[in-house]
Amino acid sequence: METPDRKTRRKWDEASRTLDFFTFAEDRRLGPHKRRLFEKIRGATLLVAAGTGNDFKFLPPNLNIAAIDISPKMLERAAKKAAAYTGKIDLQEMDVCDLQFPDAAFDTVVTVCTFCSVPKPIVGLRELHRVLKPDGQLLMFEHVRSAIGPLGILMDLMTPIAARFGPALNRDTVGNVEKAGFHLYRVENVYLDVVKAIEARKENDV
Amino acid sequence: MLFAVGDYVAGMLIGIATTLAVRIVVWPGMDMVIAMLLGMAIGMILHFILGLALAPLLGMFETMLPGSLIGMYGGMLFGMRDSMAAGSSTLLAASVVGAIFGAVIVAGVKVYGRVVRGAVLETGR
Repeated sequence: METPDRKTRRKWDEASRTLDFFTFAEDRRLGPHKRRLFEKIRGATLLVAAGTGNDFKFLPPNLNIAAIDISPKMLERAAKKAAAYTGKIDLQEMDVCDLQFPDAAFDTVVTVCTFCSVPKPIVGLRELHRVLKPDGQLLMFEHVRSAIGPLGILMDLMTPIAARFGPALNRDTVGNVEKAGFHLYRVENVYLDVVKAIEARKENDV
Repeated sequence: MLFAVGDYVAGMLIGIATTLAVRIVVWPGMDMVIAMLLGMAIGMILHFILGLALAPLLGMFETMLPGSLIGMYGGMLFGMRDSMAAGSSTLLAASVVGAIFGAVIVAGVKVYGRVVRGAVLETGR
């Protein structure tokens, strides 16, 4: 039987062929919101689930960033966009649930539409917590289950199909961030209550 | 501006497609519960297909979320109507109602989006 991480890798390897096509308009509509969130990046930074590198263009210039993804095919595509970035983006194949970085290595961790797809989201978030320095910040641009009754039910119904080819639609990522030990200090609704910009901090005393 | 127009066109298309497909499958006198379940299933399948087709132009979230409401709830309503033969006797009339339903849902989603947009938690670092 295929392990969850292999299954995830295979799914996103396949999705890498069409991801840029399907996110063409989304980049234009949500890009300014991502850019606004990324302006808060400071210090040593880890970008989780780099994908095909579509989000690199929203990063502030001249940063030095470690970027990971579980899919080698995604990283192949991301390499071209990383080369065009004005700073430095070091791409590495890695599972967010098993990060090969030491404790307290980063000041900022950034995720974009990542925790809709991680099979064990709390395990992944705890790994992010581990690699963040005390008082380090977690900046997330994620889609979550809607709390609007009819929409939430629909997202539950569609998730078994959607998760076969892409993301789960009904994750409680805001709740999971807290469960993983982070202190939430800002949550912003970007599109309905589904697409959110989430900001959290690793407490000094944790 | 173009995206906003596109959102309405997409919603109307999904509404029209759902109403036409339901009209083909549901006949007057069909058990209403069955008709509503059929309509819901048809609407969900159609919104998924059309949503995927339109997503590269309009965005995945902006097509799929209103589209799912139009497909699922519109499909149920159209199924109920057609099982009772209650109004919209021609395909054209049914299509117009489908388009109006789609546009109204898109408008509702946009209004609600404006209401809930912005910070919902802000405590400062």
